[in-house]
Amino acid sequence: MDDEPRPAVLLEAMARTLAEEVVPATEGSAQHSVRVVANLCRILARELASPGTAHDDASAAELLDRRLRESDADFDESILPVLLADVERRLAISKPSYLTEPS
Amino acid sequence: MSTAQAYEEALTSLVVNSGRPSAEVTIVGTASVGTQRTTLFIEIADDAGVSRAVAQISLDIISSALPTQEAALLGLAANRGVPVPRVLAVTDALPGIGQPALITSHVDGLVVPRQILRSHAEHGAGDRLAVACGSALGRLHGIDTRLVPSDLDRLSADDPYLDYCQRLTASLDELPIPYPVIRLGINWLARNPPQPPASEALVHGDFRTGNIIVGEGRLEAVVDWELAHVGDPMEDPAYLCMRTWRFGNDEHPCGGFGALPALRDAYESCGGSWRDDAFHWWMTARTAWWAIGLARQAAAFCDGDTDSIVLAASGRRVPELEYDLLNLISDDNPMTAR
Repeated sequence: MDDEPRPAVLLEAMARTLAEEVVPATEGSAQHSVRVVANLCRILARELASPGTAHDDASAAELLDRRLRESDADFDESILPVLLADVERRLAISKPSYLTEPS
Repeated sequence: MSTAQAYEEALTSLVVNSGRPSAEVTIVGTASVGTQRTTLFIEIADDAGVSRAVAQISLDIISSALPTQEAALLGLAANRGVPVPRVLAVTDALPGIGQPALITSHVDGLVVPRQILRSHAEHGAGDRLAVACGSALGRLHGIDTRLVPSDLDRLSADDPYLDYCQRLTASLDELPIPYPVIRLGINWLARNPPQPPASEALVHGDFRTGNIIVGEGRLEAVVDWELAHVGDPMEDPAYLCMRTWRFGNDEHPCGGFGALPALRDAYESCGGSWRDDAFHWWMTARTAWWAIGLARQAAAFCDGDTDSIVLAASGRRVPELEYDLLNLISDDNPMTAR
């Protein structure tokens, strides 16, 4: 049996505490660091909640990178949607608000 | 002796050697500690009183302009009417420390991007600032490149775009893990070079929100010249308009504060020659460059070269740049629309 609160809930609470209590009480580079840490807590909370972050991605990226070194325009064009989907999956974790096309 | 005391003594020697025998330097704050250099707020006290100044001490001199080169560029820029801090003292080796350093006058104004964007969201000051940036860049790019220090970095005049792609590839290959999106971006860049400019120019190389000191709609000073080089002038306006430097203010393409036509018109009326294809190419190229930069910061953390949480977090910002990069090289890219 696991204890409560669960990790994602705790990370959200940590982010909230840092953002609401610590950020206003600090300034300069310390304040910047605290903002960054609060944001990392939110990223980790989303990462825990996200399905299937594949750990065998590394070797797939290695293979793909090797193929891309050949700089074949047709292949590049065909793989772009696949890469975009993967970037969108990672952005949904690291910064969901960024997932709008810029003006 | 602490690092701060050592720096104070070394900076005091530098100012004394620059013709102010009774000067004494006190460090009053730290503006930033980067991987390239440390920037300190200092006070210089002498018979004439106390004045504020800024000291930049280089840590990594491999990939950036030397402070003596930077001081020469500040002089050229000032002569041409580009707002810059005044050079007070410069050395390639601080007495007793050995690192290169540059001391400039302190310029009042906003530097922190979120403060600039907040203060310029209202009362139309953002477009005035975009005009000021366009004017400054137009003047900067009018500087005769024969006056630029001959040892300053320059892109190959034969094929600057291939040269830049090769530099990006070399940096990418040094990263400990593969980034296929960036590789794809560089492939696109190599296949789609723009028409070259009529002539090369002195390029600031890091002209963005965060490296400009700003008053109410005014550009008080352009700082951080260590990436200056000779190359394609369109690199500067393109870099300023990258999505990442808008800090979330996507409705203002120019630096997160202004409109693109305001920047472009001012640039052209101050002698600049705007080229859309080069604008798009450089925005793409510098987006790839910064994706690599962020990945490198994360790698430095993972390797134990730094314990900075800010640099560690950079690793999780890479997808933002990758997303921008893929949007930029997609055919139906709205970023290129004018």
